[in-house]
Amino acid sequence: MSIPREAYQTLQSIVGPEWVSDDPAICEADRYCSLSSPSDEQRRPGCSIEPASTEEVQAIVKVANRYKIPYVCTSTFYSAGTYARKDDSILIDLKRMNEIEIDEKNLYAIVGPGVAFSALQADLLKRGLITFVPGCGGNSSVLANTVNMGDAPIGWRYGLGYQRLLGVEWVLPDGEMLKMGSLSMSDDYFWGEGPGPDLRGLLRGCAGHQSRLGIVTKIGVKIFPFVSEELEPMGWAFHSFMKLPPNRFKWYNIRFYSREDAINAMFEIGRSEIGLVVMTVPPIFRSVARTRGVGCGGFWEAWKENGPKIKPNQEDLRVLLYGIGSDKRLEYEEKVLLDIVKDFGGSPREAPCRDETNFMAADAICANVVGGRFSSEVSYESINQAVRYSRVVNEITEKYKPRILEDYGTTNWVCPYELGYIAKMECLRMSSVENRDALDKWHDDVHKFCATGGGSTIFPEDEIFGPVWGNYPEKEAKIRALFDPNHVSAPQ
Amino acid sequence: MLKVEEYKHQAETCVRCSYCKFVDLNWVKSSRFSRQCPIDTRYRFNLYSAHGLLHSALAELSGKLEFTPKLMDALWHCTLCGGCDTKCKRNLDVEVLQVIETLRCRCVEQGKGPLPEHKMLADNVKSSHNIYGADPKERLNWLPPDIKPAKKADILYFVGDPMSYRWPELAQATAKILGKAGAKFMVLEDEWSSGHELFATGQLAPAKEMADHNTKAIKDSGAKTVITSDAECYKTLKVDYPKIMEKSTEDMPYTVLHITEYIDQLMQDGKFKFNRRVPMKVTYHDPCNLGRLAEPWYHWEPKYEPPNIAVGKTWRRGEKGVYEPPRNILKGIRGLELIEMERIWDNAWCCGYGGGVGTAFPDFALWTAGERIEEAITTGAEAIVSSCPHCKDILGRAADANNTGIKVYDITEVMLRAIR
Ligand SMILES: Cc1cc2nc3c(=O)[nH]c(=O)nc-3n(C[C@H](O)[C@H](O)[C@H](O)COP(=O)(O)OP(=O)(O)OC[C@H]3O[C@@H](n4cnc5c(N)ncnc54)[C@H](O)[C@@H]3O)c2cc1C
Ligand code: SF4
Ligand code: SF4
Repeated sequence: MSIPREAYQTLQSIVGPEWVSDDPAICEADRYCSLSSPSDEQRRPGCSIEPASTEEVQAIVKVANRYKIPYVCTSTFYSAGTYARKDDSILIDLKRMNEIEIDEKNLYAIVGPGVAFSALQADLLKRGLITFVPGCGGNSSVLANTVNMGDAPIGWRYGLGYQRLLGVEWVLPDGEMLKMGSLSMSDDYFWGEGPGPDLRGLLRGCAGHQSRLGIVTKIGVKIFPFVSEELEPMGWAFHSFMKLPPNRFKWYNIRFYSREDAINAMFEIGRSEIGLVVMTVPPIFRSVARTRGVGCGGFWEAWKENGPKIKPNQEDLRVLLYGIGSDKRLEYEEKVLLDIVKDFGGSPREAPCRDETNFMAADAICANVVGGRFSSEVSYESINQAVRYSRVVNEITEKYKPRILEDYGTTNWVCPYELGYIAKMECLRMSSVENRDALDKWHDDVHKFCATGGGSTIFPEDEIFGPVWGNYPEKEAKIRALFDPNHVSAPQ
Repeated sequence: MLKVEEYKHQAETCVRCSYCKFVDLNWVKSSRFSRQCPIDTRYRFNLYSAHGLLHSALAELSGKLEFTPKLMDALWHCTLCGGCDTKCKRNLDVEVLQVIETLRCRCVEQGKGPLPEHKMLADNVKSSHNIYGADPKERLNWLPPDIKPAKKADILYFVGDPMSYRWPELAQATAKILGKAGAKFMVLEDEWSSGHELFATGQLAPAKEMADHNTKAIKDSGAKTVITSDAECYKTLKVDYPKIMEKSTEDMPYTVLHITEYIDQLMQDGKFKFNRRVPMKVTYHDPCNLGRLAEPWYHWEPKYEPPNIAVGKTWRRGEKGVYEPPRNILKGIRGLELIEMERIWDNAWCCGYGGGVGTAFPDFALWTAGERIEEAITTGAEAIVSSCPHCKDILGRAADANNTGIKVYDITEVMLRAIR
């Protein structure tokens, strides 16, 4: 079987023969995505196509509907879950749609799906503006990330991605066009809500619809004023970083020997409305980040030596102070922070005034270098719930050691957003390749706890969570049937 | 060429993150010049990228994929610039470039490659020991009467095919600079092609012949140091020769220096100074073969410990390229102002010529060079300087094709102008 000839020829006429291919090599290269191990569930698409405009996307989707061919889309192919699950699907690769428009005065940018964060960020920094870059790094798509997950450490001040989502241009699963926010009334992306019900919730949910509800072709995103000084890149190869202007930024690493004190300090920092980044730094994250340039061997050498030295109740906070608007503001933030730290008995240490992983790059992918298998549980909670969740995850992990590798009990990351209103909790665990089933069982146990204990996860299984989360799979199915009558938009 | 087990292991280690398509993210200075991989930037399908080629390698190895027309097209359009390799190794342990090179070798082994244009290079080398099929007796024709290489010296100047036959003025400039710097040097009576493009196109048998011949000739000459001003020769002698002989660079019977390294060292030691003003605003293009690909080669017999520790392996992550010496030289010339482009050092955008692409796909090479010329123009420089004859050639052609007015020089030409 393959894509019907007539359909394929129509696709060629839409984008031009250069931008569609059913060559097995082209299709094989679009088969697997980064968040999961290659498996037979991931099917080689029947063809890959690269549209250059919304009109072309719409036309492709209409062809898919006419011939009942499943399709799945990708934006920059970092790939959180992009793959064809059905044979002879159309893989719609949107990276040619990479226009950027920046409205400096009204503080928003309009981007196509092919725009990577690093590209937008670079153009913004030159203008004294900023967007944020998620933990997966500046190589991912602004659009795909914003409609999917959208969390990054500087969300401490700027919130989660979906809150920055403004006007949306959306090709629905059947090829109809939906424009949302002010865009529905005029050619204006400035405002995200209405008219009528706000449909943006359909885009994201726990972790995005993963192209199962059509294709978003353009969005407006909020941007923010930033310092006018240059964040100068320095160093080559894996030594690279961005120099921060010291009159505007200061990093502090603060060690607490009571997790409770660390968390309370975090709340207090939020109440004082200071900082651009505030988060805990699990020692394993620090070691993973330091793996850059030393590889797997270097990581294990350091981890085996440093891991056992971690004190049971140790918690490190990392805070980036930010002189927004003036140097005086930085002085103020520092005074406030040091007062808080003193009150809660922490030991502050100033760190070099540079950034390796927040403004452009990110080091989440380094976790892969550690070797074997790693897996994360991610949830969005209040800080208190995140801490509770973290404790339970640690208890569950103990059951699977040594098949889950030794983490010395401290591997959970609390990364709060919106000055502490909500927190991402990420629990990273590792195993050898042979023991990866231990990780699967660990996930199952954690999810069972979430379902009964009031926790959440961004990767819920319908069977476990459906019954306790208001039968959402049924509702989702109804929405899908309504929007996607031919069942072609990334069918499972 | 990687052995099968290791080839599979390396290809499998790719996690499909697409990091290899971008300049080191901390170095992205504009959306316009944020990309690293020429084939990805031009052709966009994921197959046209390291990530795509690594997956094809796995699929081909497991019998799920053949060398289809598109796979051939992507594989041979890759300029082997290594941008992907150092970007990937910023975060991960994957021998990206070696997998692509091995995929080319497998293509050749199976009789599907190389392309006819590449095959011709091997034919020429076989008949006349140079890639042009020119008369070997003319190899030393570049030597003007006023330059007299020594019969015996510690330094040997390895000229390379391009400068011997195509751009003799660059060989002459190199020899004159060495002379002005007081270096006594020899040249080989019977230099053969370095074999650079044969290595790049997976034609390892004739490449090995070149390596064996030249290594023996260098050894027999008694030279301790080989100097070259051709970045391709530099990388081939320093990296490809030990690699094919299953040795490390440090175990070769010679040390290779690029002319810029040699002169820079003399400058640092206070033994050499440029004495003429060259009033010019220039920008510098790092040739891939002198930059991120120029790190010494470390021979390693694959040995792993769980979970994935490569025991005793020294990784080449692009940090030891020759980045600073050419810059020190340019900065050491009075009146000359160096303005950097956005993509420099290990992030440099390839000129487009390498990997056999200039030979087989001149239009794509010209497109790639055109991208670099555009980037150079944004600096406001009046000239772009490089350290490789092929970079100079293709960048010059791109500058002319687009009527840009920007001048293109080899660094030896600029150095010569700065010497009285
Ligand atoms: C190691 C790792 C760490 C990560 N860390 C973070 C993190 O800290 N914060 C965070 O927010 N995210 C994180 N992610 C997930 C991240 O959100 C996604 O990987 C990224 O946003 C995907 O962007 P992309 O450009 O690669 O999208 P793609 O791979 O192209 O697509 C991602 C998903 O969105 C769908 N999609 C793509 N484009 C569209 C579109 N135009 N319309 C509708 N659906 C579309 C795709 O089908 C796919 O399911 C991480 C992922 C990895 C692998
Ligand atoms: S080659 Fe490296 S950087 Fe590129 S996709 Fe694979 S793992 Fe990522
Ligand atoms: S070697 Fe260069 S052209 Fe080839 S895949 Fe890597 S970055 Fe792209």
